[in-house]
Amino acid sequence: MSVFYDRFARHEKGVGLKGHSTHYCPGCGHGIVHRDLAESIEALGIQDRTVLISPVGCSVFAYYYFDVGNSQAAHGRAPAVAIGHKLANPDSIVICYQGDGDLASIGLAETISTAQMGLPLTIIFINNAIYGMTGGQLAPTSLMGQKTTTSPDGRTQMMGQPLRMAELIAQLDGPVYVERVALFNPKQRTRARKAIEKAIRLQTEGRGYAFIEILAECPTHLKMTPEETEAWVKDHMESIYPLGVKKDLTVEPWWDRKAPSFEPEKLLGMIGADHEAVPRFATGFPTHLGGKDISFKLAGAGGDGAQTAALLLARAGIDEGFDATHIPSYGPESRGGTSYADVHLAETEVLNPAAPHPHVLIAFNAPSLVKFAPNVREGGLILYDSTIIDDLPPMPAGRRVIGAPFTAIARGLERPMVKNIVALGALQAATGLFPPETFLATMKMVLKDKPALLPVNEAAFAAGMRHTAEVPV
Amino acid sequence: MAVSAATRPKPFLEAEFCKGCLRCIDACPKDCISQGDQINAGTGYVPVELDLENCNGCALCIQACPEPFGLRPETDHADHVHAAEFELEDPKTLFGERSSSAPTPVARPGSEIALPATEPLVLKGTYASALGALLAGCRHVFGYPITPSTEGAELMAKVLPKLDGAFVQAVSEVAVVNMMYGCSGAGLPCITFTSSPGFSLMLEGISYMIGAELPGVFVNVMRGGPGLGNIAPEQSDIKLACRGLGHGNTHAITLAPATPQEMLDLTRLAFSLSFKYRNPVVILGDGYLGQMTGVVRLPKTMTKPGLPAWAVWGDREHRSNLICSILLVETELEAHNIHLNDKYAEMAATEQRSDRYRCEDAEVLLVACNTPAGMAKGAVEDLRNQGVKAGLFRPITLWPFPITSLAPLLSTVKRIVVVEASPGQLEDELRLALSHAGIAPPPISSVRRFGGVLPQQSEIVAGVLKGGAQ
Repeated sequence: MSVFYDRFARHEKGVGLKGHSTHYCPGCGHGIVHRDLAESIEALGIQDRTVLISPVGCSVFAYYYFDVGNSQAAHGRAPAVAIGHKLANPDSIVICYQGDGDLASIGLAETISTAQMGLPLTIIFINNAIYGMTGGQLAPTSLMGQKTTTSPDGRTQMMGQPLRMAELIAQLDGPVYVERVALFNPKQRTRARKAIEKAIRLQTEGRGYAFIEILAECPTHLKMTPEETEAWVKDHMESIYPLGVKKDLTVEPWWDRKAPSFEPEKLLGMIGADHEAVPRFATGFPTHLGGKDISFKLAGAGGDGAQTAALLLARAGIDEGFDATHIPSYGPESRGGTSYADVHLAETEVLNPAAPHPHVLIAFNAPSLVKFAPNVREGGLILYDSTIIDDLPPMPAGRRVIGAPFTAIARGLERPMVKNIVALGALQAATGLFPPETFLATMKMVLKDKPALLPVNEAAFAAGMRHTAEVPV
Repeated sequence: MAVSAATRPKPFLEAEFCKGCLRCIDACPKDCISQGDQINAGTGYVPVELDLENCNGCALCIQACPEPFGLRPETDHADHVHAAEFELEDPKTLFGERSSSAPTPVARPGSEIALPATEPLVLKGTYASALGALLAGCRHVFGYPITPSTEGAELMAKVLPKLDGAFVQAVSEVAVVNMMYGCSGAGLPCITFTSSPGFSLMLEGISYMIGAELPGVFVNVMRGGPGLGNIAPEQSDIKLACRGLGHGNTHAITLAPATPQEMLDLTRLAFSLSFKYRNPVVILGDGYLGQMTGVVRLPKTMTKPGLPAWAVWGDREHRSNLICSILLVETELEAHNIHLNDKYAEMAATEQRSDRYRCEDAEVLLVACNTPAGMAKGAVEDLRNQGVKAGLFRPITLWPFPITSLAPLLSTVKRIVVVEASPGQLEDELRLALSHAGIAPPPISSVRRFGGVLPQQSEIVAGVLKGGAQ
């Protein structure tokens, strides 16, 4: 008896009779299962480790009775709550106690997905073929023809057929043990008691997920005596819900989770935080390009590398001690069409990260050039891939327009992907944004885990610079 | 280990705990139990009667009894008290004061661990927020993929297994919030990254968490709505976060970062506020901010969480705890709501946060948050260059609205222009806050874009110069 509270203090404050009797109707199957559960927890010696998840339904108040850690879940969500508990404390023994509306109707998605996930959890499923708490409505497990307050003429095909949860759960890969038991005579009650204990034991041994469906009696809403209800379960329910073991795998214990790490170096290493100071080369902010906040737009087709180049540009600025931001293109364009990036570089703080009117446009293809060139500020720079855009459309007056063969140079290096780095080299030559060493240092740092890629990128940058420097402005 | 019939305990029954269901009668193979004929005055039920002359202690009747204190072995009986001493109205004398042998729960303190100095990182907003969570001691993340928030979950999925934490991709956002309910109920910090439609799905669970007084951090990278809307940035859920967190009397501190750095800083803050108040905290970002990359500097320490006294951890120390939001007695639920209101009042009094840019002599006050605040900040510069005394008031907490720091600015302000990527949700919060504070504001106009379009700097400047609503 020790797993039940000595006094049910949460049941109407435990005053008088309520302190020692359940809120269940006379003859209700819940009480019998509660006793089985309490005895099983005691037999396994896990009272202190147990977390019981109460559902919504008649057993919403299971926490009145069990002297274990208790949580009460939203309707149908007990398995999700159980996953939260089990992962938080892998040593806890988490038991979901759910009725047929909770488990087999509103909570089906959680029921199925948790079963398939297969964490060591124990699910106690009370199937009494009717909604109790709300007053005798149709349950997913009600029998065909069964009259309820929402099937007053009996359950018909229109309401769906009874859902056999034990069979459904047993055919999933996650569970290790699934059994359907009943309570209608001493033999069945003895089996139920054993099944419940086994389902919890498998969890304590770290073997996996277990599901016990229990055909239980609801005399009140079946409008029968407890004795008649036992007979009804035996004579009518059992044929639809055959009793017995549905699945019983032999699985070695596998549940073994370590406590989470809070080692600073481990975390910092994982996120690529560097202790080494990045060398700086710039002697001041490149105000010659348009003041203390310069905006760039890099635009091309998906795969042109506009985003990577934009990130390198922002990063180079940050490495030099300035503020910088990058916003990638957003919306349907990111699914294959135009991919563009806004970059801001500011001496102290980027105010507005968007670049609708950039100082510099780098265009990797003709549509990008046509779309964004008119928005470039007067006195700004338009840089484009002259391999791709051999027929230059009319450009707005008052802007520097420079073509460089990004693609041809990259092909010459036998690495077409580095055309974006060629573009950065061209940008460097055309603007003198930073000392060239800045970009080289940033690339070296970004590629520190892939050093083999560094030479080709350095070559691409140098070639882009060299070519553009030769272009008459 | 056979127990002989002679030594097996026989059943006993206190009549008051029998509901007369009669399930024990059929269970008994020796016909020892019969239907009684006396109505029990205390219960109104007719208890069964035992005649144990033939009883062999098989205990099948006990197994059949649905009442924990109904049929019991007589050894239990001896442990407690004789039926004759039973006093119906005074349970304290029945089995003593205690209803459990579990000890009084205690809190295990967390700790701050020094972080070595590092160079600034360059991170996108969702990553910065995820990193903020890791630094706040969060090792449990539950998520469901939804654009444009998914990178947060992706980073966690990559990092957490290596830190012996857990990332679970749940079956839905409904499952996500309930996994958080469980993890948080066990006392540990947890977070999710979602976007508007997913946030809608989580609201029931957030209401449960507020009712059950559970912490938890929800990062909503807002996108265009209603319905499926689109995946472009919109400040579409200010109303939902500030006024509609599920059913019932709910509020949560709602933070609105504007940069990747703030995504990290405010995520860390969210965890501490969440545990301080035992209440969820919402972080509203926008699609731009989630994707925006910028410089992020790390704090000096990281947190190793402790375990609160109220946690249902699954150990002896915390065995007596209960996480639930059901309070059947009306006056108790009313008292619980008064308690929640007290917490909300304390949050409103102590947790208002805002940022002010060139507000000291502002005559035109722009009010904006998230990425539109960046555009508004740029517009302030433009307007100042054109001789307009503009300033930006940026609420960092949208709930509670930082009215205390706004009010003093209004002495010089001749008009307010609310800049937002929504059809007026931020303005509604501003007007409500002004109204509750009894402040008659100067004229309020707006620059609004929505549907995934952000107000641009030039539009804001034009809107301010025009002086009227758009």
